[in-house]
Amino acid sequence: MSAPAERVIDFAGHRIPSLSYRILAGAALLVGLLVALVALPDAVLAYLDSHGVALPLPIATATVAGGILSALATARYILRPSRLYGPLSIATSLATIGYLLRFWWAASYRFTIPGSSSATFQVGYVDLILLLLVVPAFGLAAGVVTTIEDLSAPGERLPFDYPA
Amino acid sequence: MGSPFVRQVRRPPFAYRLARGLRRLSSVVLVLLMLYLATVAYSTYALAQSGPPAGSYTAGFVANDSLAVQGEFSIANPGLYPVEGLALTLRVLNSSGGFLGLVRSGSVTLAPGGTTTFPVAVYVPITPSSAAASLLVTDQVLSVGVWGNATYAYLFPVSIHFVQNRWWGAPFNGFRASAGVPSGSGGNVVVPITISFSNHAPLTETGALTLILRSSGGAPCGSTTFVLNVPSNSTFDQTQNVALASGCSISGGSAVATYTSGGTTIVLPPEAIP
Repeated sequence: MSAPAERVIDFAGHRIPSLSYRILAGAALLVGLLVALVALPDAVLAYLDSHGVALPLPIATATVAGGILSALATARYILRPSRLYGPLSIATSLATIGYLLRFWWAASYRFTIPGSSSATFQVGYVDLILLLLVVPAFGLAAGVVTTIEDLSAPGERLPFDYPA
Repeated sequence: MGSPFVRQVRRPPFAYRLARGLRRLSSVVLVLLMLYLATVAYSTYALAQSGPPAGSYTAGFVANDSLAVQGEFSIANPGLYPVEGLALTLRVLNSSGGFLGLVRSGSVTLAPGGTTTFPVAVYVPITPSSAAASLLVTDQVLSVGVWGNATYAYLFPVSIHFVQNRWWGAPFNGFRASAGVPSGSGGNVVVPITISFSNHAPLTETGALTLILRSSGGAPCGSTTFVLNVPSNSTFDQTQNVALASGCSISGGSAVATYTSGGTTIVLPPEAIP
């Protein structure tokens, strides 16, 4: 039994969800990403700020960077059946790497412990950033491979991305 | 009746499998890192909730004219990760900012779920001209600066610096040597000398306090010895007559007290005699 006609385009042995369906699902994905990448970091930063703790990065930066990453990831999902999927994967990974490098640049986080004028705490997180960079690095490599695959054999991956 | 067609499952091309594998690897690494960070956050919270280091100390005089502050403090690590290579440095300043002493602890590891005890001992050499001399006769607030370095949860080098103010009770707080009206004449002049102080240190002062009276020119005019047995948080006030050397006047001079107990000899700051 096939899926509802308004949701699925069925051809050549695979089923690609319609653009409207992908936009709808992408919107749901966007909401989740905005919560994880914008609302949550902003809430944590605002909490620290309200308690007199110096912030490792401005709230505006977290908002903009989280918004960009969320938008790119959503666009990548919606355009997955197209040739733009690979380049969008590369762009998303590069943006993530840039965001992480923004933290790498600071290398450590130093702040004064609230309620004490003389107690300072400093933590370095270079190693953590290095580990986190592995995630977009793999994503970047996957995006490059997909881009090459789409250029050399357009549509080759669709039966496997959207099996019937 | 069955279908004449047999559905064949085609193996994905290599490029597709490679990209898919990389994406899955990326997801696995991300999930593992998120789990790690969540446990680090939990451990950090537990560590912060465990409260400041608990400890106690005692003070006393030791050989080489030194004041020893000895004690220990314990740090609990209820988290899931060790605190490795923890090294602490303590610097003690007196109330006017004069340097008193420095102590460094060796590098230790706070195992997860355990409590580690650090022994601490600060030896402060005391000479009449040193900043530490004020510790003998003046109650004051000491500034204890603490620097610590460690690696937390394998990945995070952390350093902390804070300053704690600690009340110091002087063993001869308010030390005062006052001279009464001399009596006698010629080579038989006697002057009553009163010594008073409060012992605010956490120790009992036993031994002898020898007082040398000097003229304004620094020449010794006479001496006497007070026997001490002064418990902590009690006062001492005693008067003794001192025979002065012939022709020696202590007016405008000074009194120098030397505390002797066991093998310890501590010279107190000179006290001016009006």
